[in-house]
Amino acid sequence: MNNMMQAFILLLAGFLVVFCVLILLIIVVTLYSKTIRSVQEANRKKKEAKIQVKAAKAEPKTKPEPQVETAVTAEDDGEIPGEIIAVIAAAVDAVYGDKPHRIKAVKKSRSSRSAWARAGALQNTRPF
Amino acid sequence: MEILQQLWQIICHLLGESGFSKLTWENYAMVGISFVLMYLAIKKQFEPLLLLPIAFGMCLVNLFPDIMGLPTTELLTKAQMLDKNLDPSTYPTTVLNDGVTYYNYTQYGGLFYYLYQGVKLGIYPPLIFLGIGCMTDFGPLIANPKSFILGAAAQIGIFLTFIIATAMGIFKPEEAGSIAIIGGADGPTAIFVTTQLAPQLLGPIAVAAYSYMALVPIIQPPIMRALTTKKERSVVMGQLRPVSKLERILFPIIVVVLVATLLPDAAPLVGMLMLGNLFKESGVVDRINKTAQNELMNIITIFLGVTVGATASGKVFLTIQTGGIILLGLFAFCLATACGVLFGKIMHKATGGKVNPLIGSAGVSAVPMAARISQKVGQEENPGNFLLMHAMGPNVAGVIGSAVAAGVLLSVLK
Repeated sequence: MNNMMQAFILLLAGFLVVFCVLILLIIVVTLYSKTIRSVQEANRKKKEAKIQVKAAKAEPKTKPEPQVETAVTAEDDGEIPGEIIAVIAAAVDAVYGDKPHRIKAVKKSRSSRSAWARAGALQNTRPF
Repeated sequence: MEILQQLWQIICHLLGESGFSKLTWENYAMVGISFVLMYLAIKKQFEPLLLLPIAFGMCLVNLFPDIMGLPTTELLTKAQMLDKNLDPSTYPTTVLNDGVTYYNYTQYGGLFYYLYQGVKLGIYPPLIFLGIGCMTDFGPLIANPKSFILGAAAQIGIFLTFIIATAMGIFKPEEAGSIAIIGGADGPTAIFVTTQLAPQLLGPIAVAAYSYMALVPIIQPPIMRALTTKKERSVVMGQLRPVSKLERILFPIIVVVLVATLLPDAAPLVGMLMLGNLFKESGVVDRINKTAQNELMNIITIFLGVTVGATASGKVFLTIQTGGIILLGLFAFCLATACGVLFGKIMHKATGGKVNPLIGSAGVSAVPMAARISQKVGQEENPGNFLLMHAMGPNVAGVIGSAVAAGVLLSVLK
């Protein structure tokens, strides 16, 4: 009975200490991260302002050349070329293998992760 | 005829010395178990870096138990020394009450006995933590500090198992604490705690802890699937913010100051973990960093693996007490995984569905295996979902959390 009482007290103390220490770490990490980021942001703005002042002083007196308009290609208006779709279909087939699958649509991803980053992530998670 | 008789005597002597006459059924059973573990390590590739040395150590000690043999010193008289063709002048002497001078004839222990001292004296676990620190990227945790909660949640399994082990009545509180720490899924921490609380249980606890770490891919996924819905598992989490170098450098220093001040008993583990991470993030000790995460880590892993496996000799291992430890360890580990996933679900609700509860299971500190399992189970639902970096946050928080839980157990039970 004495052991059980001790075990119960340890259970409560353990919960309390582990959660308190880790919550304290959350607070500390959040605070110092915010402080560092705000300091770094302020420094960056200062640097940018300095660069702008320097650029304004050294501005050329000649007129800027007119910008050349780029031609609109098939990719720019949202169309995906057939070759790309074929490659995507082959990649999907390689991932799913014998499992039944069907590609319903191919859309351009808005993800900020680059194709190389995705390939790296796939490589890292391949062991299973 | 005499030649044949001598040949027969030599053969009889060799047979008498061989395993056929010395080994018991327990030894053969353990050799069989070691073969299964080798199969899992080689064929299934379940944490082979750990499981293979453990399995081979287990096999070797059961075929040749003397490899873990203790060093012994016999007191021999001069006549006995001469009988053994030993030169008495080269041995230290002891004079007993009977006035006779005895020679200390020392026989050295087995190879694994000496390698095992690193486990027994608690040297290897902090060194392993040093290497882990060099290899760990705390960036995801700094970018999303709320992950610490999931690391804490998974430690609930440790304390609940402690209650159950104590309630069973066959374990003392110190032993129950050592068994419960298996739930942290952190081999070095389990060894570190057990050497101080219940050194007599070191063998079974170390084998259980490392085996469950290696078997994470089998144990965790069914629990994760059972506790989550398909919709929850499909949640795609937003990309984490980039973390600056200064934040990364300050993190290990701040953590070690806080944890070592609050829980000095956790200082050797957390301290070495953070030292390793500072080596990595500072970028000024590249040579030391590489040595700690490669050569040193590999050497310690070999020594730790084979000697932990070598503690599993048949007579010690195949007992009811060890069976109880193995089952309680499994229970602790499953409970820790379940608590992590359940807290993940709470975070999922609290954040309006932004958190995938699967990352909660990575709160057990088997780095990086538990995070990879979150990734794998998540990708089964949505092949384009990358949870790995999100799961690394709770995973490394689990390392800190289990070290803190170990500190609590040590400070109360020691």
